[in-house]
Amino acid sequence: MSDQPLWISFVVGFIVLNVLLIGMAYMTWAERKVMAYMQDRIGPNRTGPFGLLQPIADAVKLIGKEDLIPKFADKRIFVIAPLVSFVTAPLAGLVIPFGDQVTIAGRQINLYATDINIAVLYVLALSSIGVYGIILGGYASANRYSLLGALRSAAQVVSYEIALGLSLVGVFIISGSLSLVDILNQQRQTLDLFGTGLQIPNWFIFYQPLAFVIFLIAAVAETNRLPFDLPEAETELISGFHTEYSGFRFSFYFLAEYISMIVISLFAATLFLGGTDGPIADGAWWLILKAMIFLFFYIWLRTTLPRFRYDQLMGIAWKVLLPLALLNIVVTGFVRLAFNNQLW
Amino acid sequence: MGELTATHFLLLSAALFITGMMGVLTRRNVLVIFMSVELMVNAVNVSFVGFAWEQNSMIGQTFALFVIGIAAAEAVLGLGIVMALSRRADTVDVAEVTELRD
Amino acid sequence: MTPEVLVFDILAVIAIIAGIGVVVSRNPVHSAVALVVTFVNLAGIFVMLRAEFLAAVQIIVYTGAILVLVLFVIMLVDMDDLPEFHGGAPLQRLSAIVIGLILLGEVAAAVVTRTVVGQPGPWNEETIAAAGGNVQVLGQFLYSGYVLPIQAVAIVLLVGTIGALVMARPDEITTRTRGRTTGTISLGHSRGADLVALPSGAPTARVIHREDMRDGLVMVTSADAYTEQAAWAGTDVPSEPGAAEYPTGAGIGSEENR
Repeated sequence: MSDQPLWISFVVGFIVLNVLLIGMAYMTWAERKVMAYMQDRIGPNRTGPFGLLQPIADAVKLIGKEDLIPKFADKRIFVIAPLVSFVTAPLAGLVIPFGDQVTIAGRQINLYATDINIAVLYVLALSSIGVYGIILGGYASANRYSLLGALRSAAQVVSYEIALGLSLVGVFIISGSLSLVDILNQQRQTLDLFGTGLQIPNWFIFYQPLAFVIFLIAAVAETNRLPFDLPEAETELISGFHTEYSGFRFSFYFLAEYISMIVISLFAATLFLGGTDGPIADGAWWLILKAMIFLFFYIWLRTTLPRFRYDQLMGIAWKVLLPLALLNIVVTGFVRLAFNNQLW
Repeated sequence: MGELTATHFLLLSAALFITGMMGVLTRRNVLVIFMSVELMVNAVNVSFVGFAWEQNSMIGQTFALFVIGIAAAEAVLGLGIVMALSRRADTVDVAEVTELRD
Repeated sequence: MTPEVLVFDILAVIAIIAGIGVVVSRNPVHSAVALVVTFVNLAGIFVMLRAEFLAAVQIIVYTGAILVLVLFVIMLVDMDDLPEFHGGAPLQRLSAIVIGLILLGEVAAAVVTRTVVGQPGPWNEETIAAAGGNVQVLGQFLYSGYVLPIQAVAIVLLVGTIGALVMARPDEITTRTRGRTTGTISLGHSRGADLVALPSGAPTARVIHREDMRDGLVMVTSADAYTEQAAWAGTDVPSEPGAAEYPTGAGIGSEENR
């Protein structure tokens, strides 16, 4: 980061933010279309060709609604709570490396906004702050069902955050660094599989399959998506912590969820699948392709699986994912010490 | 002000510590007292790390890390006590809990 | 004024204002939110002090776990409006401010006129960068010289968890042996969320007469009994299931049915 001027980092960050916002808008369209085709119907097809203007129609509708604040609600916190979720969600996209360096107008520009040496912890820290959007939203609604839904959702997010973080410790043990640019560069090498001449890329999913599975499950639970969306489902507790939010404030929560889905997909693609590494022509398109696989997986889960009950949900976090993540750390540490990563 | 020196960080730490201390001494709600104690602990952390920065040493950061860990354990137990207190005395006002005194 | 001093000034001023907000707020949730703001600003200050790992740990552990726990407890504990804000002891408030300022002046005088003692250590920016960064250096430092304190902190956290589990258990766990088994609660009734206490020693099933059917609730003491009783029956429960007469007139909870 010290090798490029600050304003270039700002410009790159601004571009990343806009890409994330547009991606989020069309993620809503993609979700509705894919869900529709999986359910043997067509989905939005009236607003523009193939329904491509549907997100704009949704935005116009949500902005045009009346801004209701309940009478006994805590006004300041009611206003701030969705903003907390909406602001911390795209900030995590600033550390994801979309490539190496390009030369534009004679300057070397890094294709990532910053390269901090604690990039992965930064993303985890942002999701920790995002919990406050949920709790404060539920509290400020002056509605006891919202409060219960918010506390449930916050407990769920905090529990799965532990599993998420611990599953990543295995990746850190192997890569020796917390910086996403370093992790990406390490995955760009090719491995010789058992010395037979079979070349596979050095992606961490081959080293950490268990951590990958735990990360995926914890990521789905972190973003409050089906099958872990009990705290915000419409039939449970009257849609939980965002019951009293309508119009644009509700859209903040809704869009924050989609942005964090996209960011976690990019994150999983960078940490486990090698990010921009591809068989031909390394570049950002491979990263986007891999992220789209994860996003499709999210939509697929939503269409297919029923919802977990709350005690089952918490049981999975504490009784299944946490012990497995700890076991993964122990085994990874042992392998690293004994074989020095030369398993293959 | 000129250059950034450790004095800046120590003044910040002192201000936060004194604010927290006044909170502990003045407020009656036990949860606000608890939060003021956390504020004091963080002020001390800032001064540890400030000294470590000035003296180019890692010991300050290590100490601050351990302080955060122990503060987590203290928070868990303290909040357990608060919940038990609220269940028994039915209040969170520390001025009302006078059983040992009377 | 260098940019670092400017950034430090902004972070420090916001942190101090939020710190005062913690102490002064009437609503404890506002205090907690102000404390979150303080902690995030302090994390920024840690980053300025070349302690990036500590900044991340501060946010993940302190803001993301401890303060969430504090917010949970605030919301689960029923709080009334304490008398401290209703004109109680303004002299105490004023003397707190005055004493605070005096103390701050004293400490500031001590800090500004201090002399540095001791030798500076080896970890300046170049050596940290050469050794791999803040996380690597801290890791080497912790796990070579400080393994025992880490184990001690782990034991303290374990003891804390067990202690919290013991303290937060409800008191009624000893009354469960006294014959109360199950109860059914009708959420369809306007007062449905009130818990109904069953008398101890009640038989497993009993015939509910209309006059002692309490506000539309049917009381049973075992799961089997419930399936044989029609919950909506307003009249005497018949002996064989399925032959209940549906009540005529107004439904459960109306004035006529009591």
